[in-house]
Amino acid sequence: MLKKKLEALGHPTPSDVAMSNRKEFASTVLWLEDQKIRLYTIEDRESLRNLDNITIWEEGYKKYCIDLNMPKLGTQLEQLTWMLGHAIRLEFLDDPAQYESINAHQENTSKGNNVQNSQQKIPTILHGMINVQDKEFITGVRSLATKLNIPYHPNHLLQLEAAARIVHERMAAAVKSRKAISGTPFPFDKGNDIVSGNDPTLDYPMRILRLLQIQSLRQLQTSINETIVSVQNLTANPKTDTKLGKVGR
Amino acid sequence: MVVRSYEDELKYLEKINDHCWRIKKGFQPNMNVEGVFYVNSRLERLMLEELKNSCRPGAIGGFLPGVKQIANVAALPGIVGRSIGLPDIHSGYGFAIGNMAAFDIDDPLSVVSPGGVGFDINCGVRLLRTNLFEKDVQPVKEQLAQSLFDHIPVGVGSKGIIPMNARDLEEALEMGMDWSLREGYVWAEDKEHCEEYGRMLNADPAKVSMRAKKRGLPQLGTLGAGNHYAEIQVVDEIFDKWSASKMGIEEKGQVVVMIHSGSRGFGHQVATDALVQMEKAMKRDKIETNDRQLACARINSVEGQDYLKAMAAAANFAWVNRSSMTFLTRQAFAKMFNTTPDDLDMHVIYDVSHNIAKVENHIVDGKERKLLVHRKGSTRAFPPHHPLIPVDYQLTGQPVLVGGTMGTCSYVLTGTERGMQETFGSTCHGAGRALSRAKSRRNLDYKEVLDKLEQIGIAIRIASPKLVMEEAPEAYKDVTDVVDTCHAAGISKKCIKLRPIAVIKG
Repeated sequence: MLKKKLEALGHPTPSDVAMSNRKEFASTVLWLEDQKIRLYTIEDRESLRNLDNITIWEEGYKKYCIDLNMPKLGTQLEQLTWMLGHAIRLEFLDDPAQYESINAHQENTSKGNNVQNSQQKIPTILHGMINVQDKEFITGVRSLATKLNIPYHPNHLLQLEAAARIVHERMAAAVKSRKAISGTPFPFDKGNDIVSGNDPTLDYPMRILRLLQIQSLRQLQTSINETIVSVQNLTANPKTDTKLGKVGR
Repeated sequence: MVVRSYEDELKYLEKINDHCWRIKKGFQPNMNVEGVFYVNSRLERLMLEELKNSCRPGAIGGFLPGVKQIANVAALPGIVGRSIGLPDIHSGYGFAIGNMAAFDIDDPLSVVSPGGVGFDINCGVRLLRTNLFEKDVQPVKEQLAQSLFDHIPVGVGSKGIIPMNARDLEEALEMGMDWSLREGYVWAEDKEHCEEYGRMLNADPAKVSMRAKKRGLPQLGTLGAGNHYAEIQVVDEIFDKWSASKMGIEEKGQVVVMIHSGSRGFGHQVATDALVQMEKAMKRDKIETNDRQLACARINSVEGQDYLKAMAAAANFAWVNRSSMTFLTRQAFAKMFNTTPDDLDMHVIYDVSHNIAKVENHIVDGKERKLLVHRKGSTRAFPPHHPLIPVDYQLTGQPVLVGGTMGTCSYVLTGTERGMQETFGSTCHGAGRALSRAKSRRNLDYKEVLDKLEQIGIAIRIASPKLVMEEAPEAYKDVTDVVDTCHAAGISKKCIKLRPIAVIKG
């Protein structure tokens, strides 16, 4: 995904950005500011240019993050992802008309999907009692997300959904009494399934999406089984009568 | 019919690769599509020898050779793709056993043929796992075999021990495994691990003759005769560790139970009744086939629809039958080990049908089409992520249960993407006969066959020992050859090999 975003921004060597290296990271940040974000004037970028003296650069970077209004993010990967997103947004806002023909709503309707997005879903759950765009509400969601270690997302409602899931699956009272899953875990990248071979970068995310789909199918199937069992409690009465049996020839 | 020399016949056959032959148009008259069959070098020799023998002057009567039958099926109206012969193919009524063919439902001329399903409708294999190991079962295997034999009546004319009246049967025919669930004979999870969830929704008991119901009623919960059996097996080899673990098979030596049975006299009567109706329909609709045994009717005709509804009822009968035997097997094991089936972890791994016609969607020439897929002696083998396979097998592909011959070995395979593209998601079903029943009775001695089984340490309980030669391993192709061919051709993937330690059969 990182590579895709770098490609979209026209980075000269999108596949060679090594995230393990702080210096590499620093030069990518500089490239982004120089070419795309342009938050500072050229003179103000001086501290960010000190790639060889990493301590001065770190000072400058700290200030830069604050000036960019970047939320508090843990890893440098998250920070870079956020900056790339920010840069792409700026690029888009430079000339929105250019992208008018590419439109998520149209993409969805043309494929026949009717995606109910979280913006609509959450207010319905809350019966419209809370203004979900209220500043206080947003801050609350953001701090809840930080507590639960949920990665940053520009849409706080998506974060709220993620929080709900974590609470439901990891922290609810019923979960705590549940038996731990035993058996050997199935390595999901070693299955017999083939993921679209054209683009290896899509392989991993596609496998994750498929796993999520399988998980929700499993939940559905389990609740079907539970329903069958509760009906069986009323109807089941298996009988055998050995007198009826007859062995043939 | 065209008469040609063996050399001339060979001109119509072309070896595409090590495991696959093409049958060109013209091999038999009016072929709409080409034929294809999968073999390895040993099976290839059997296949061509059969053809050669039929080319000898004066060789008339009996069954047509398998290759000819594949080609005759390719001449049926509405067939799409290719007429496909699996490695275990051998001559049968109309269609060879081990032949699959798909017909376009949207083509008004397409047909359904009872010969493409077989007389034992929804004959199939079910595999139950246990958490026992060979060392737990070896000391008591004789008692266990006896206990199974006492619980599950076998043989021609056997009667089941689950009390049923005519109304129960009507309901069972309509509901399939849902009936077994309602009555409490099986577990909710069993349904999930069964092809079609153990119920064909289009079943209509009103389309089934009184005679079929009378034959079927006392036979529910019986194994039957012929090649049907229940075996206690142990895991002999694991080829695909991850897929096996998804099926609850962790180690060599684990004990499983395989049940191979079908719809007994009920399905046979349904097929016989339909053939009579179809001959009339063929005359009326002027349908011509190369072989009288390929009686068929248009899918959308009254006869075609009636057959499909009655066949679905017979399929439901077979699922109830296998479910009843699942119940009885669990009881037998629970009694023997003084515990509950739950504690023995006796879950159904899967249940496959290898004699059935079903409506499925497939991609043909890049377009999705609705097809009526006939599988006779052929098992469905859908790839990973197919919507019609259970959620537990979404990553592995559908388990395919291949029962071997008495006393040899059986296999569990998984479905592959390649099989989906090449064979409409189908693969082999068993060993496949090499000698006819009559021939094996003449050539083999039943005492020798039984002695041999005893020597390799297999406990056996049998209703009619004098017919055991028909099912001797010598009468069949080598199941390992069959399975290896499917694996090498890529139409399914080897997962587990099983070896029997106790057999009960008719």
